[in-house]
Amino acid sequence: MVVAVGLFAAMPTFVGISWVSVLCEILILTVAASGLNLVMGYTGMISFGPAGLYAVGAYTTAILIVRANAPFGLAMIAGPIVATVVSLIVGWFCVRRTAVYFALLTLAFSELIHIVIFKWYGLTKGDDGIVGIPLPGFLSSIESYYYFTLACTIVCLLAMWVIVNSAFGKALQVIRENPNRAEFIGINVRRYQLLAFVIQGFFLGAAGSLLCGFSHSVFPTNAHWPKSIDMIIACLLGGIYHFYGPFVGSAVYILLDKVITSFTEYWSLVFGVVLLILVLFFRGGIVGFVSERLSAARREGS
Amino acid sequence: MLIYLIAVGLSLIFGTLRVLNLAHGAVYMLGAYLCVWLTSILKPIPGMFWWAVVLGPFLVALFGGLVETVLLRRIYRWHFMYQFILTFALILIISDSVKLLWGGGFRSITYPWPLNGTIKVAGGTFPLYNLFLVAVGVSIFFGLRALLHFTRLGKIIRGVTYNREIMSALGENVPAVYTEVFMLGCWLGGFGGALATPLVTVSLGMDMAVIIQCFIVVVIGGLGSLTGAFLGAIILGLLDAFGIMVLPELALAFGFILMAVVLIVRPYGLMGKREYE
Repeated sequence: MVVAVGLFAAMPTFVGISWVSVLCEILILTVAASGLNLVMGYTGMISFGPAGLYAVGAYTTAILIVRANAPFGLAMIAGPIVATVVSLIVGWFCVRRTAVYFALLTLAFSELIHIVIFKWYGLTKGDDGIVGIPLPGFLSSIESYYYFTLACTIVCLLAMWVIVNSAFGKALQVIRENPNRAEFIGINVRRYQLLAFVIQGFFLGAAGSLLCGFSHSVFPTNAHWPKSIDMIIACLLGGIYHFYGPFVGSAVYILLDKVITSFTEYWSLVFGVVLLILVLFFRGGIVGFVSERLSAARREGS
Repeated sequence: MLIYLIAVGLSLIFGTLRVLNLAHGAVYMLGAYLCVWLTSILKPIPGMFWWAVVLGPFLVALFGGLVETVLLRRIYRWHFMYQFILTFALILIISDSVKLLWGGGFRSITYPWPLNGTIKVAGGTFPLYNLFLVAVGVSIFFGLRALLHFTRLGKIIRGVTYNREIMSALGENVPAVYTEVFMLGCWLGGFGGALATPLVTVSLGMDMAVIIQCFIVVVIGGLGSLTGAFLGAIILGLLDAFGIMVLPELALAFGFILMAVVLIVRPYGLMGKREYE
């Protein structure tokens, strides 16, 4: 863990500007994916609409800075908070449904958010997006923003670590394994699910706000469902039953994207095949696969 | 009615296989591209469009059969999340293959003879082709009902939908039924795509627009219910038409609002049966 942080902190001195922004993208996706994973991996509810909440965070920050001239810090904090409130409303409905129906309901809400952003031209500038979002001077270079993102990511991941290892986190895993038994031992399943959904909203909003500062712009596509699929795949690629899964998945996903697009325009064909292989043979994701191998090796060694 | 054709394929597959096929939109796109392509190579033959409409969906169904036997069959017992990812991978593969084979340009087809005219009905003027589509939709609706209720295959499909273990114990070849149903679903999707070619611009990305509409239709009607898909398509069509008249800004949103309301109040849809989730 410490090694990874050190590595990320030292990176900008070794690599060029373009790679720093790739690293930045990885960190932002990590925050979003690990938030999503609290719901998907730990609680076992497949959400199809994380992009909606992500965009709520991004647009809140953007609108506050551009329209209300709010200070940067305030706008960055408001993003996740507004996303939390929205996820409370959305989640209140969603946790009443399970499995496919839960997934479809989250999809419907996410697409509704997308349409609102798309059509509410007066507030969000619709299809044009909000561009040219100013940042305070000390964050204006890509390196300094990278360190800011890194700091936020570390804080978020530490918070997530505390959450999943608390009694609450364990209760979520009980719900995933068997909701009926969880109910029998006195866990209020819906309330816990809702809480997980809301915490997820906070993380997604935070990722959205970070994105807004990173790209200086926000667009309605941030709320559209292909964006949700990005996050879901990042989780699955890394392994949804492991804490580091979303991080590893995000890194691999974005690097694959960059590598494949650099030598072919048919990147989705290649990536589709990669996904097929992943689903058919490595369902635990990369981290799942590696940790399985490690424990197998340890068993042989002892 | 086009949406009905596509959505009923999606619903049929979900009802029997319990797989929500995200790639159904891509199947529709494949049908459309195949139809355009076949029309262009069959140029010298009169009525080439109609040959393409017959042949294209048939090829799509064969493709579907291949996908089912090679890929989907392995994952029925797994968590439905993996089905999502697998069918999403199929979207990526199909849409890029289409790009690879036919390029990314826009294509369109003119209204085929003899349906290229218009007709006056009750004071309004309608293109003949649109009326033809309505007729096709209605006949498919009754055709599917007849297939499911009056033929042996239909009985087996309904039986498998109801309880696959018992049907298997009764000696039916369940995997084969699954393949047939998946092929039928793909045929419907491809057929919708082929018939859509004179109406829409055939281009990459046409699948994305359609799959979301299909989800709305299928959810409103009830996942797995064929009558529901018919009803859902009509409701969504009316909603779109009225939405554009009343509140053009939010016309798109109505579909999702209705979908959300149905899921909250009656998740099994208007025509679906209550079941254990």
